[in-house]
This record gives sequence, structure tokens and C-alpha cells, in this order.
Amino acid sequence: MTWLRRIRFPLLLMAGATLAPLLGRAGFLSESKWLYLGVAVTYAAAALSLNLLMGYAGQISLGHFALLGTGALVSGVVTSADRGGLPFMVALPVCAIVGGVVAFVLGLPALRLRGLYLAVITIGFAYVADQTIFKLNYLSHGSAGIHLPRPLVNTFSFSRTSDFMGILCVLLVVIWQVDRNVTRTKLGRAFHGIRIDESVAASFGVDPRRYKLLAFVISGAMAGVAGSMYGHVYMFVNNESFGFEKSLLLVIIVVVGGLGSRAGVIVSAFFYALFGVVLTHISWLHIFRGFDILIGAALLMYTVSRHPGGLAQAFQESRDRERRGTPDEEAEEPALPKLPEMPRPSGLPERPTVEGLSGSVPVLAAHEISVRFGGLQAVNAASLAVPRNKIVGLIGPNGAGKTTMFNAMSGLLKPNAGKVELLGQDVSEMPAHARARLGMGRTFQLIGLAGDLSVTENLLLAQHVVASYGVLSALTQIGPSRSVERELRDRAAEAISALGFERFANTPVKRLSHGQQRIVELGCVLVTAPEVVMLDEPSAGMSPGAAENLAVRLRDMRDDLGRTILLIEHNIPLVLDVCDELYVLSGGEILAHGLPDEVVQRPDVIAAYLGEPAAAAIVEAEAEAEATPVKAKPAPRKRTRAGAAK
Amino acid sequence: MGQVLVLGLVYGVIYSLFAVGIVLVYRGSGTINFAQGEIGTFGLFVAWWFTTAHHLPWIIGAVAALVMAAALGAGFEWAIVSHMVEANRVSVAVATIGLLAFLVAFEVRFFEGGNIRKMVAPIRGTGWSVFGVVVSPTQILSLLAAGALAAGLALLLKKTDFGLGVLAAAQDPVAVRLVGIPLARVSAFVWGLGAAVSVLGALFIEPTIGVFTPGFASEMFIKGLAAAVVGGLTSLEGAFVGGLLIGFVEVGANRVFDFPGVKMFSILFVMLLVLLVKPDGLMEGFKFRRRALA
Repeated sequence: MTWLRRIRFPLLLMAGATLAPLLGRAGFLSESKWLYLGVAVTYAAAALSLNLLMGYAGQISLGHFALLGTGALVSGVVTSADRGGLPFMVALPVCAIVGGVVAFVLGLPALRLRGLYLAVITIGFAYVADQTIFKLNYLSHGSAGIHLPRPLVNTFSFSRTSDFMGILCVLLVVIWQVDRNVTRTKLGRAFHGIRIDESVAASFGVDPRRYKLLAFVISGAMAGVAGSMYGHVYMFVNNESFGFEKSLLLVIIVVVGGLGSRAGVIVSAFFYALFGVVLTHISWLHIFRGFDILIGAALLMYTVSRHPGGLAQAFQESRDRERRGTPDEEAEEPALPKLPEMPRPSGLPERPTVEGLSGSVPVLAAHEISVRFGGLQAVNAASLAVPRNKIVGLIGPNGAGKTTMFNAMSGLLKPNAGKVELLGQDVSEMPAHARARLGMGRTFQLIGLAGDLSVTENLLLAQHVVASYGVLSALTQIGPSRSVERELRDRAAEAISALGFERFANTPVKRLSHGQQRIVELGCVLVTAPEVVMLDEPSAGMSPGAAENLAVRLRDMRDDLGRTILLIEHNIPLVLDVCDELYVLSGGEILAHGLPDEVVQRPDVIAAYLGEPAAAAIVEAEAEAEATPVKAKPAPRKRTRAGAAK
Repeated sequence: MGQVLVLGLVYGVIYSLFAVGIVLVYRGSGTINFAQGEIGTFGLFVAWWFTTAHHLPWIIGAVAALVMAAALGAGFEWAIVSHMVEANRVSVAVATIGLLAFLVAFEVRFFEGGNIRKMVAPIRGTGWSVFGVVVSPTQILSLLAAGALAAGLALLLKKTDFGLGVLAAAQDPVAVRLVGIPLARVSAFVWGLGAAVSVLGALFIEPTIGVFTPGFASEMFIKGLAAAVVGGLTSLEGAFVGGLLIGFVEVGANRVFDFPGVKMFSILFVMLLVLLVKPDGLMEGFKFRRRALA
């Protein structure tokens, strides 16, 4: 919703922070109503925290209110007079740390795996927190509960909730800013990449486990702070304050508000926090008790299944369609422009380079790779080597194991046997993202880009390995993160203008045509100047003209940019045109290796492609042709430029 | 020790039932139905309405609850999940969280308040003493029913084309469609069956526990979830082994330690341990080794 985007929440909240104490003193709203508003602010903070995890990183926490509860109880221990007796401002960072640590402990086992394990573990944590941890006498005094004092500055106590609202609003602004810093830096892009496709993210050098865990830790820290706010608003919590149904409510708030939409989530949180209050104050509305959850849950199911981007986005998209018409699908396929020299970026991790390699060592080599899927031997002891500054082709019939071989070499799957060497270094034990950091770039058969990110954002994501600044610098925007981000943006802009894509810089990639996406994908791979580029069927879906253009650009990449390329292709003319060496994979084994022209003449290679009888027929026909006198052959038609012009 | 074994078996079998439902949905749709347990509670409310409020025989209430659950599960698949074929599996799980929230809110709003609800047992009687533990006829019946269900499922899944389609659906949807098994029907079947199995578990465990409230079966479901995860999340044998393991762990820990919530605590602990040491679960490992030998 456009009006939502126009509201500047930080400004609004800062205004709230200043006005609330004044209004409260002027007698505007009763103390109990200020309390509800205060609770609404803490719900907004909690919802932002869950939104970071669910909306950005695509992981579910079903025990988020239990994290809030942990924060509240820790805050109680730290601040209450009979125990810690420390000020509220000291409790906040403690709560953030405790929330982050709890998230780390839960996330470490759960996020090593793909799938829904975090949801499973957090639902378990919600019950354990409810039944065990929150009942610990030291933390909560059981059902008797604990008192959380309001902050005290000199002699001024924030005992009026309208005064305390000032602090709450400022805290929400801080959380908002941290969240915005996440989305502005490599963190947000990495989270997004993981959510869309972990393999693609890894090919850009993002460690999926690390970033999933990081998302949960940041989210947990925010939840800890939100919990502390919650506790000090109510000034009382006991073991029953943080039931499982509140965690469910939080999920509803975030999904209905729009996954990934800060503003939508805050509006939704205020609605849910205040709806119940309105009901209790207007008696005839009482029959609608509980309907907020019922309607919210129904809306959630509807939204997720029909408009995954949330209601706000669904609305926005329908408006966009009216205004702009359908995506750019029919646009004419652009020719791949000459790719510019991309100097090796400055922030690149220390790594061996092609230049340091002694002459005979290949840039990339696979030794005796075997991959088994259950009973199927997909690749069997296949070896290949890609020498420096060469284009090496890998062809083979469908199902020969080409992409499996690629995946084994790039680290997306672990071969049952064999060794992979990159720049003379054994990388067999390295996961995909680490190989990407060492200078291995790859494309995917289906486009390896984040479809709903713009061209610019994809180029920024692709530079993940170069974005060498720490998490804290990213979250606070202090230190190197700003200048590094500026460099990345410059570089992305440079790449975009080289590709001739200025017009599409801010267009989501999924709105581009297939051919355009291929070009963006190539740009993303080359933007970090990798030592070796692995291309999985780059000409798939291209017209013959575009494929010829691709051949020219591949040679450019080898000759002008000095890249080394491993190429999977089905387009044999293209392969014959550009490759210096050719490997043929058939039934998971290397059938032939040599110069392209020679390899494709071999009867066994023809047989692998066309089947034995057809191959025999071809060989026979060729033998016959050779036996017959030359003059019987039809004279080859000379195609001159003039002739073609007629 | 004997008591731990008997009680662990009694509870473990119920968790196995929940776990089997979870594994079925996971194999068929590649996701977890987080509302599955609460459909069980909903079934209890339905069964209670027939048996206690209207004094009909147990079997009528049970059948009505099972039919309702199967319809609810399959209906949810039809209304929501079938529209999400292209969607991320996490999104489907989020949709089931919506159903969970809906069911809990519905029960709280319309069923709660007033009387304490207790479901009658399918069979009355004092039961028998085994190792000093009184085993009720209902508990014996639940063991038999779980055995029958396991046998029936094994027959269906391993011996029929449709069953093989169920097992292969999440792994290779295209192949399943190519051999002529309608994926939509496979999907509706697993969601319906998963929900019905939940009700079965809830009906059998309720008399042992006593009172039920909204959220009752979700707690059983979470233990079933732990069982499924321990068993590898994709293996039906693993679901049974995991269920029994969780049952023994829970009863054993409850005997050794004494603090509130010791059962759930020990279960979470075991689940985290298994995920750390053997992320693919106990049973998948067995299966893999068997395949590697062959």
C-alpha cells in the first residue's frame, strides 16, 4: 500500500516519544489506556524481530514469545530491587545478549539442516520454557510472579506509562533502524538469497548455515529487548505471561502485515494489540471476542496461499499491473554486449591466483569423481582438467551426469569418491560458498538469480565475497560497512552500464526476459572476477543469433579478460566454435577427451548421442562418400557476402 | 525398569501414531502440518459432543471425529495447499500454523468455559497389572490399533501403486505424475489420513490423561514431532522406533529427575542431541547402510 510506504515511521515514533509524556500530563487518555498503547509498541518490536527471521531469512520460529519471556524474566532479575537492582538501561543489552545466546543454542542444531527444523525446535522450546524455565523460582517466583520496576533517572521515575512511552518509542526506533541496516547491507541480501535458493546463494559465496543462524541470533536479540520492554510496561510477569498462543499470534501479525514489510508489520501489531482492548470497552461488541484471531488466522491462510508477499504487496502489484502492463517478457532479446574488464576487487580474501600457478597445473581439476544416488551411479570415476585461459567443453546426452559433475565440482553435493582441485589446492572438503570465495563462479541451468530482487540488488548479492565488513559494522552502520557498500554499488552500476541494462537497474529480475536474465546472471558471475567460470548451458533458450553472439563473448572472456571457462552445452556448433578442449560424458563416465573437431567424429561419441544403429549408418555413409570420386560430391555452395545480400 | 518399559510403551505407541501422520504428510507434500495435533483435539470435542453430551456409544463419537478430521485435513489441502504447488515448503508450513491458530481460537471461543471435559474410554474395566503398572483395556486397544495401522499402512504403501506414489510424491513429483498417479489425490489422501491418525491418537491417550482442553493434542503432537525427527522425518519405521524411544525417554526421565516439565525437557534434549549427532535421524541411517550393502 503506497500510503504505508509514505509514512515515515521513525519520525512518527520520535514524535510519539516527545508527545506522549506531554499528552499524558495533560490528562489525555487514562493510565490504563496508555498501558495498552505501551503494550502495542512492544508487540511492534516483537513483530519486527520475527519479521526479520521469517520475512527476510524464510525461517519459522514458533516459540518467539518464549524468547520474549526469557528477555522479560532476565530483565526482572537484573533490575528488581531485591536481586540485581541495576538500571533498566543496563538490563537492555543483557537481555539482547541472552536472547541472542538462546537463539544460538537452539539454532545451531536446527539450522545445520535444510527444512523446517527451526520451527520444530522452537515449538519444543516454547513448551519447555512454559513448563520448566519460566517456572524456575529464581526467575519468576512461579505463579506469584515478579515485579519489574520502571526506569529511574536521578529522582525521576517513569512510573506514568505515558512517560515510559517516550523510552519505548525510542527503543522501537532503534530496532527499526537496526532492521533497516540489515536490509541495506550484505546481511539482508544474504538472508534474501538463502530464502530464495540456498544453492544460488552459496554460489555467490554466502554460507547458508552461518547466515540462517545469524538471522535467528539477531532476531533473538531483538526479541530479548522486546521482552524487556514488555515486562517493564506491565511491571509484572509470571510463569503464565508467555503462552504458546501468543507465539502463534505473533506469526499471524507478521504474515498478515506482510512478510518482509516493516511498516505493514508494525501496523498489524498495533491492530492486534489494541483490538481486544476495544472489544472489552464496548460491551455490545463483546460477541466478537476472539474473532480477531479467527479472522487473522483465516487471512493468514488466504494470504500465504494466494498472495505470498502479503496483503500490502498484493494490493501494490494489482496497482502496478494497471499502470505498467505485463512484465517485459516480449522484449526483444538483447545481444550480449562486450563484458568489460573487471579489476579484481579490493576486498577479496587472500587467495592463490592464476598468475601464481605454475604452467602445467590446471586451474580446476576433478580426479576420479564418483556420485551415487541410491542405486543410481550418476557419475563414475570421472576426471577432467581445465587448463589456464582455455575454454573447456563438457558435453554428453541428457542424463549423462554433466550437471551432477558440476555440482560435485562446485561443492553443492559431496561426491562419494574423488578429489577436486582449484588453483592447485585440494578443495574437496570445502562447501560451495568457500569454493566461491576462492574464485569459482558458476551459473545454473535454471537461472541462478534472486527473482524478486532488482538487477542492482542481484549484482550486490553477487559481490558478497567482496563485502568484507563485520556484522556489527553492518548493524550499526559504523565503521567500514558504509564505504564498502558504496564501492559495491559503484561496481554494480559500472557492470549495469557495461551490460547496457541502465533501464532495468531497478527492475525485479523475474520481469526480464529469459535471455536478459542470462545476461544478468553472467554479469553477476563476472563481477567478482573469478579465476574459473563454470557455465551450465548458457545458450539454453537462446535464438541461434544470440548463441552466435554468446560465442563471441565467451572468446572475449578468454582472450581479453583472461578467464578460464568450463562449459556445459548441448549446442554442438557453439561448442565446436569456442572450445579449446572437449570432454564427453556418457552414462557418468568420461567417454572421450581431446580436440573438439576430433572428438565429435569418433564413432563411440556419435553412438552415445544418437544410439548405435544411427551411428553405424553415419559411419557407413561417410565411408561411402570417401570411396566415391570427388566429383560426385555436390560442390559446396560458396557463400559470399554479396551472395548473402542478394 | 519394568514399569518404565510398560509405561514407555503405552505412551510411545501414541507418539508413534502422531509421528506416522507427520511422516506421511512429509513424504507426500514435503512439509509439516503443524495443525495436525490440534485437529486431534478438535476431534475430541466432536467425539465428546456425541458421547458425553448426547449419550451415544463411543464408536459413533469416534467415527464422527475421524470422519470430521479426515474431511478437515483433506479440505485444508484442497482449499490451501493445492494452491501452493509452486510455493516454498516453508510457506505451506506457515499456512498450517494459520490453521493451528484458527482451531485453537475456535475451540477457546466456542467450546470453552463451564464444564470440565472428559472423554469416555472405548472399553471400561479395571485392567491388568503388569510389572506393577495397571494397564487399562484402552491402552491394550491402542497397542493393537497401532499395530493394525502399521500393518495396514505397510501393505498400502509398499504393495500398491498408489502407496508407492505417496512415498515418492515429495521426492519426485514429476515421476509420480508420469506413471499416472494423480498427485492431487495423493496429497489430499496424506493430509486427510494424517489428520485422522491424530484423532485416533488423541482418542486413545485421552482416558489415560483425564481432562482435555484446547491445545490438548498439540502437546502430544509435539512429542510425535520429536519422534518423527528422531526417526528421520521420512521413514515410517523410524516414526515407530522414534515414538517408542521418546516414550521410554519421557517415562525414564520422569522417574530419575524431579522438576516441573521434566518430560518435555528430556524430549527436547534428546531431539537436539539426535540432530547434532545424527542429523538424518536414526532410521534413515539404517536404511542407507542397508542400501549401501546391497
